[in-house]
Amino acid sequence: MKTLKYIWRNVARNKLRTMLTVLSVGFSLALMTVLHGYMVMQSVWGRDADKHNRVVVMNIQGFSGALPIANVDDVRAIENVIDAVPFSWYGGTYEDQPMAFAQFATDADHAFRVWDDYKIDPDELRAWQENRQGCVADRRLAERKGWKVGDRIPLKGTFLAFDLDLQLCGLYDAPQYTDSIWFHWEYLNEGLKQANAFGVDNSGTIYAKVTSASQIPLVIEAIDARFASSQNPTRTQTEAAFVQMFTDMLGNIQAYIRNIGLAVVFSLSLVAANAMAMSMRERTTEIAVLKAIGFPRGHVLRMILGEACLIALFGGLLGIGLGCAFLEALHSVNTQIFPFGLADLAGPWLLVMLGAAAGIGLVSGIVPGIRAAQLSVVDGLRRVV
Amino acid sequence: MSEPVVVIRDLHKEFRRDAIRIPVLSGMNLEMAEGDFLSLMGPSGSGKSTLLNLIAGLDKPTSGTVIVVGEDLSDLTEGELAQWRSRYIGFVFQLYNLIPVLTAYENVELPLTLTGLSRRERDQQVKTALDVVGLADRMDHFPRQLSGGQEQRVAIARAIATDPTLLVADEPTGDLDAQSAGEILDLMQRLNSEFGKTIIMVTHDPHAAERASRQLHLEKGVLVDDVSVTATNQEQP
Repeated sequence: MKTLKYIWRNVARNKLRTMLTVLSVGFSLALMTVLHGYMVMQSVWGRDADKHNRVVVMNIQGFSGALPIANVDDVRAIENVIDAVPFSWYGGTYEDQPMAFAQFATDADHAFRVWDDYKIDPDELRAWQENRQGCVADRRLAERKGWKVGDRIPLKGTFLAFDLDLQLCGLYDAPQYTDSIWFHWEYLNEGLKQANAFGVDNSGTIYAKVTSASQIPLVIEAIDARFASSQNPTRTQTEAAFVQMFTDMLGNIQAYIRNIGLAVVFSLSLVAANAMAMSMRERTTEIAVLKAIGFPRGHVLRMILGEACLIALFGGLLGIGLGCAFLEALHSVNTQIFPFGLADLAGPWLLVMLGAAAGIGLVSGIVPGIRAAQLSVVDGLRRVV
Repeated sequence: MSEPVVVIRDLHKEFRRDAIRIPVLSGMNLEMAEGDFLSLMGPSGSGKSTLLNLIAGLDKPTSGTVIVVGEDLSDLTEGELAQWRSRYIGFVFQLYNLIPVLTAYENVELPLTLTGLSRRERDQQVKTALDVVGLADRMDHFPRQLSGGQEQRVAIARAIATDPTLLVADEPTGDLDAQSAGEILDLMQRLNSEFGKTIIMVTHDPHAAERASRQLHLEKGVLVDDVSVTATNQEQP
């Protein structure tokens, strides 16, 4: 008989208490997994952004300003820029779902030169280029929505007071999920003109592809210098920095989420510790017997820590499972707020969650374990003998 | 003549309750030879269990010397005492104190897990111990599936599994009916006579005490009577 077997039998001794402890650890870790998963989601956006030598140009005033469309050609003309495209957010609703997915207006003739890591069938690309109302979509988004090439995708304007009637011309494969469709910037511009809206002949941002990573600082400097004296000075940054800017907007929220998570884990450790203390109190004589027949203090402590960790790890596995399932469900309901599913999120942070479960086990078991290890055999036996 | 298993010299033990000192054992001297079967009798509070705990290395004296199996127990640390107990002492408790989540086999194997024996050697010793107490056919039973007498026999098997030098039994028949108590005492006598185990047994029961080869009477922490019993007296009617 090994010690592990004895630990396992003790875990199964009071099934109701063990189950309740596992559930309490499990639900709190599920909450932690969802909160932490949400933060991981923000970092996934920019995970590979520094690998593709792209820079993003925006008005120095930020998103409240715009860039004249003529600037795109100016950017293309800058040394070491392979290509550049306008990139404007539309933000319409689809089938009355707000923020169902992202919609961007760009240049069909140049987009896949800037995003040369995205793959599209040449015939589908040509079809998009020839169709004024055409669009292309991330293949995974199309699969989620059940779209097929040729389908119509009507979008209802929200802060832009005009609607779009798009037709799906092709599907592209991106290295990671983009949750986006792209359509012609000219089509957007027509709508802006008809609605007499802000932003006519402008683009929200300009994406540019640079020849190599070493040229990026020079290109950024050159772009901003090119427009420094214009009516619309620019702020150019790497794609990774641009993505990080969105993540940084969460700033304090991330800290709050982290602190709430830690508070939950700490309070759960106390709950689990109470359950362990109750269990040890009931087994005082048994522990005294173990010590009487020669089990050293360290052995007793390890057995109790092992028991506490095993319970917490069961709770951790349950919690991580529940949390992942919940994240996947949130992703399927709203990809704008929860843009990535488990396929993109899975990583070492899940092991960190499991480590947190083991931590709860250690914290909950340490005090009862030390008390048991230090128990006087005579006092322990006196209770019944 | 072999060295005595237990040597006690000028043993004092007192407990403290707040500022009050309560003397339990006062200047006790005792020797136990190898193969002795000694019963300790006396009224409650006379110091029987305290003496047993001191001999078993579960407690330390206030002053005096306790030498058991050649080891002065005062010199040993807590960890060394635990190791020493696992090697030389077998315990039998009044309420059996088997681990309820372990089978009879696993309970008997428990002290052997500390010895470094191989699985096969452990298996052999467990089966031998259970065979000696007549419960080889109950090895897969949990304590709740056994009668009180059977539980105590498993506890004795656990106590002898490591082949200890000294068996200490604290009221081993105190919770049993007369028939089961008789069987346990028969077993202990057999362990003493057939297997040469040195046994010290605390009991309130004069009939149980009569099974021992030597009877000690304690009163107020002092040894008042030390009677050696002939082999004839030990025979059961």
